[in-house]
Amino acid sequence: MVADEPASSGLEHLGVVPRTGSLVPLKTKDEVRAALETFEAYILEVPARWAGAVKDAIQEAIPDLKTSDFQHLRRVVQFKYLPLHIQRRYRPPHPSRPRGDGSEEDSEVTEAEDDDTARYFLVSPTTAIEHATLIKVLVQKTPFGDAARPPWALTISVPALSPTSAEQAAQWSLEYWPVAYKNTNPYGPHSSLLARNGLELAPDAGTMLALADAAGKHVHDMGFGEQIGCVIVDRTAGVNEIVAVAGDARWRSPCGEPTSHNDPGNVMAHAVQRAIAIVGKKRLRVAGSDPDSVPSPAPFCDTPVTDLEKRFHTNTNIPPNGYLCVDLDIYITHEPCVMCSMAILHSRFRRCIFGKRMPLTGGLTADTALQKPKGDAVAGTGLGHGIFWRPSELNWKFLAWEWLDTDATTMITNNTDTLQA
Amino acid sequence: MNAEEKAYHERFMREAINMAELALRSDETPVGCVFVRDGEVIGRGMNATNKTLNGTRHAEFVAIAGILEKHPISSLKETDLYVTVEPCVMCASMLRQYGIRAVYFGCWNERFGGTGGVLNVHCDPSVDKPYPVTGGIFREEAIMLLRKFYVQENDKAPEPKQKKTRELKTEILPMEIHAPRPSSSKSETSQTQTG
Ligand SMILES: [Zn+2]
Ligand SMILES: [Zn+2]
Repeated sequence: MVADEPASSGLEHLGVVPRTGSLVPLKTKDEVRAALETFEAYILEVPARWAGAVKDAIQEAIPDLKTSDFQHLRRVVQFKYLPLHIQRRYRPPHPSRPRGDGSEEDSEVTEAEDDDTARYFLVSPTTAIEHATLIKVLVQKTPFGDAARPPWALTISVPALSPTSAEQAAQWSLEYWPVAYKNTNPYGPHSSLLARNGLELAPDAGTMLALADAAGKHVHDMGFGEQIGCVIVDRTAGVNEIVAVAGDARWRSPCGEPTSHNDPGNVMAHAVQRAIAIVGKKRLRVAGSDPDSVPSPAPFCDTPVTDLEKRFHTNTNIPPNGYLCVDLDIYITHEPCVMCSMAILHSRFRRCIFGKRMPLTGGLTADTALQKPKGDAVAGTGLGHGIFWRPSELNWKFLAWEWLDTDATTMITNNTDTLQA
Repeated sequence: MNAEEKAYHERFMREAINMAELALRSDETPVGCVFVRDGEVIGRGMNATNKTLNGTRHAEFVAIAGILEKHPISSLKETDLYVTVEPCVMCASMLRQYGIRAVYFGCWNERFGGTGGVLNVHCDPSVDKPYPVTGGIFREEAIMLLRKFYVQENDKAPEPKQKKTRELKTEILPMEIHAPRPSSSKSETSQTQTG
């Protein structure tokens, strides 16, 4: 998804040059877990015609085996569908197979037959039965009763949870064991939903992020805050209607003066908090009440502090009877801190796009995708909160993407940044 | 906690409960708080999400905004918070970034709690200093206030919901805390979607 046709006109004269890049959906916390969690399982080589009997024997030996727990794993597989590393364990490249069943020529013939007739059976998790017990059960059954064909069970690692996309299923099938994809994603938004929304947002996302950059630059130039900016957009009519623009104002005193940069500054004046407050005041105005009749102490900093912010403040371009930030999208120059991530969730935004990942402070990402830069032991871990999509715990969820510039050299690369965005 | 300490903390939690009662009378979710420095209340807050149409105007934010009008930000490092309901994830992070000294709360917040209820923002790995939390001070009173609000809101709804939900329950159950009531039918749908 390359943003190549910026549709938002009229921003060029503000010095807003659209960024070129692409949107990458964030992984949810459950998706990250699903991608990492594995368990050990036994697999068994079985002649095809005995596969059913062996299945019954296993069921008999482990009566409380819940196959529904590993429904995503194929139970019976042909040799050609096994991952390469498992193929090599059953058929090493050299004729040094542990099964001494005749001369070299004989074994080649046997192998040719095996390719068609051998099946590979996923027995159970290793926790369900001891290896020795399993072998004892199997040698009592045909065909393993024959001393020339001892049961050959291997232990392998398999993904514990269902794949969340066709791509992941294909990759796991190569890496672990053939996996079935049921075209659902129990751990996050369906990939088709993400693709559809990503396509819709891509053409204008670079422009919105550039506007957020400008908002951050303006507050920074005035000494009011860090170079962090935020833009809130209503796209329900198919085009971006810019509802609020706000920069960070943590270094602005209640009387409106720049202050010295003593940590942490005024935390509640983060760009996201300010932008959300500006939406609330717009809603009050549209509802016919005077926003100034509701007391709002200066430290909230919920009035425009730069000309750029003012420009988008006065028009009441928000539908009446709206609720909080339902149906609105939010663009931020940086991954928001935990406080701001939760503010976005409380406000019930529809979609969130941010520019720069903040591995030490960000609240949205759940994975640890950022690689450790050379000689830096701290960066790249990530907090793992994934606050945008935790439906079993939090009462709202939204779609979230990070932006990757096409020309990566323009991205800020200081990953040790302890800044709370 | 010895008897003397208990009495000290209960004194301030009583003030927080008073703020929550004021919120209930103002048709806001009854969550109240006070900030205490050197044994003195330096700020008070109650939830204001309905009045402001801003879902982030929680009691803690309202109180700190008032405090920072008069006191330097650094004073929060010597300040304790007493709040009737466990701070949500957002407020828990805000308090940690400001460097709050300690947090005392009434009931747990199983919907959004940031200091044990759902996440542990007060002590998780972070660039900011962790802070200690103590929960359960006047817990039942804090919950009863929320329950009264719930009944009050349901009675206002144009079509009263099932009768059993309108009764004042005395058993202690998790419920949605802090969220402002929707102002349109559309958003009510959105709410039920994610429950
Ligand atoms: Zn923030
Ligand atoms: Zn809160």
